[in-house]
Amino acid sequence: MGLPFLDSSSFSAAGQPVWRGDELGAADAQVMATGHAALDAQLPGGGWPVGALIELLQAEPLAQAWQLLLPALARAVQAQGGPVALVGAPYEPFMPALAAAGLGPEALLWIRSEAPAARLWACEQALRCADVPAVLAWLPRARVGELRRLQLAAAQHDTLLFVFRPEAMALSASPARVRLRVALEAGEGGAAQLALHILKRRGPPLAAPVTLPARSERMAALLAAGQLRRRLGPHARHCVSSLPPEGGAFRLGSGPAAEPPAGGVGVAEPVATVVRIASPPVFSVVESGHALDRIALVAA
Amino acid sequence: MHWIALRWLPPEVQAAADASPGSATPGVEALGTEALGWWALQFTPHVAWLDEALLLEVSACERLWGGRLALMRELERLNPVAQRLQRAQGASSLVALARLRLFARGVRPPVELPGGLPLDTLSAARPHLAVLERLGCRSWGDVASLPRGGVVRRFGGELRDALDVAWGRAPDQHVWLTLPEVFDLKFELPALAENAAALMWSANRLLAALQVWLRARQRGALAIELQWTLDLRRFNGVDLPPREQIIVRTAAPTQDMAHLRRLLHERLALTRLGAPASWLRLRSVETAPWAGASTSFLPEDNRKGDRLHELVERLGARLGAQQVVVPVPQADHRPEHMQSWLPAHQAALAGPARAVLRRRGKAAAAVAAAPPSAAAAPAAPPNTAAPGASPLYPPWLLREPLALDVREGHPHYQGKLSRLVGPQRLETGWWADGQPAVRDYFIAESPGAGLVWIFRERPSGWLASEAPRWFLQGLYG
Repeated sequence: MGLPFLDSSSFSAAGQPVWRGDELGAADAQVMATGHAALDAQLPGGGWPVGALIELLQAEPLAQAWQLLLPALARAVQAQGGPVALVGAPYEPFMPALAAAGLGPEALLWIRSEAPAARLWACEQALRCADVPAVLAWLPRARVGELRRLQLAAAQHDTLLFVFRPEAMALSASPARVRLRVALEAGEGGAAQLALHILKRRGPPLAAPVTLPARSERMAALLAAGQLRRRLGPHARHCVSSLPPEGGAFRLGSGPAAEPPAGGVGVAEPVATVVRIASPPVFSVVESGHALDRIALVAA
Repeated sequence: MHWIALRWLPPEVQAAADASPGSATPGVEALGTEALGWWALQFTPHVAWLDEALLLEVSACERLWGGRLALMRELERLNPVAQRLQRAQGASSLVALARLRLFARGVRPPVELPGGLPLDTLSAARPHLAVLERLGCRSWGDVASLPRGGVVRRFGGELRDALDVAWGRAPDQHVWLTLPEVFDLKFELPALAENAAALMWSANRLLAALQVWLRARQRGALAIELQWTLDLRRFNGVDLPPREQIIVRTAAPTQDMAHLRRLLHERLALTRLGAPASWLRLRSVETAPWAGASTSFLPEDNRKGDRLHELVERLGARLGAQQVVVPVPQADHRPEHMQSWLPAHQAALAGPARAVLRRRGKAAAAVAAAPPSAAAAPAAPPNTAAPGASPLYPPWLLREPLALDVREGHPHYQGKLSRLVGPQRLETGWWADGQPAVRDYFIAESPGAGLVWIFRERPSGWLASEAPRWFLQGLYG
């Protein structure tokens, strides 16, 4: 197998032997859709390249991972089976949150190690395993030669490889196929956004960062409800119905008969208001959801 | 009766004969005579060592192999060691052995068999060669024509019996090699092994023998024990056990020595010998019938690389089993008890069957390399929705909650936290050890760290005068 990044056939997707630097390159191998349409549009081939190093640079705890990667990881696990390997995560992954996004408990293998050399070794071993569809590695102190070695291992075994490194590495060279700088910043309307600065891709440099919502749909709906409730304050008494901007159905009014307000407070006092939030796909199974999701009482 | 005598060229002769080193297969020394005998058992059940040669009686089985010529070719092809195989045939074991000795010397065998064979090719005649020569006997036929009674009185019964066997007048009796039920082989190290790396060099030989045994028995190894005998009884004033051992286990039966060798290597690298070792012994602790590997034409089934259990075992051998973990959901509502982490090799025992089932079920969903247009659609609803799973939980958890600074009544974590959603009230834990959890959870926003998941320890009634304490338990990211 030749080195994929030297493969000239990668530029001849449309029958053209020449890839012009001002247009987005075509994928020479399999890609995995990221699950974020805005990001797909800016990546060659329309997704994360499979079998290549993808570098995510960010500020110190290196914890901005799941909102960005979960859709692709869930899809990779669904297609191929086997667990996603985490090498040296900054905190403990919390399974109830990941399972809700399609990454069940059997789809995770956590390799805890502190020493940089052990992390690199474990990462390479995980890449060589046929049953591991994706590897997430936190390698704050990896050198270029070591990253190149990981890149080759990923290319030989067609594994998704995400490497998390600190922001300060943005200026140094890297063999990665795609490099992103991930930053959390406030967008319009006060909602936080993930700003993705694409530092390296097969295509023209991108002036403005790609922005993605920093929260899941349901979290955004919940936060909007909380905001609305605070704004309306204690004087809210009448049924108000509105739709949140992110599409999740959202109701403010007397609770439906399926779920009487707890403690009989809502029945006894006419001034109590029940806020109920649920997005449409989970509306029928709302009983199994989060307690925060279910009901909140605002006493007038 | 038809006999084949086999001998492997000694290495120094081999080196003189052809200077082509660099072969990966082990030499005779690396395999040992027992293992070579086990290897020969695949051709015929009648195998015995006689002096320096391995003798195979093949009259009953040569048709199975397609005739004598095909059998000889097969022997050459399946030669387990790098050294060249010398072969000779004969109507009895002694004739085959004598022809092999002549062949090794480069002498053409005589026309008349067995009468024309020179006397020094007969093991039983070797102590009496000088006397026999002075009697004028040069060949087997010369001795056989001497009077029977006189030969027995002068040279003992052995010589006469050997000649009877060679002429086919007496049965050719041997103790046939058998394959032991349990692999258990020990050998003395060529030099005292001071450290574990030296043991690994010698263990390779035992592993090669184990592979021959496993193939002959058609079994795969699940657990093997490597044991070494310590050369000292006391060291630095401490009494030492007579021997030390390590046990290496694997999840799926294997005949592949590369995986076992790597596991042994990692384990030995972490082992310190109590004293120099003199003997090494390898034992099969647990084996299972070998089913062979089934192959598939589908490209997605033929991914190259290791199996998952091999990865888990290798990582566990070097980093420690507690460092390679998988989550296990627990029925509890306190976040730090909602999941526990189990070493992956324990969970892997039930794993493969589950993984295969899951993969089959999702064969239809394998079109995951979706076109970019499909990416705009929302992600498929998770079919593995565990009870208690919710996208509102934070994906990162702090098992030990982090106590937060409280300034002017507000908790701080990288800046002043503003509470957005909550409280979610959680109470109990009286059944477990430690303090019962009486908490109010909030989702809050920190200027530096984004969304965080914090809780307030609700004071009990009579302690209400205390200021509430705030803790950080989760991070969104």
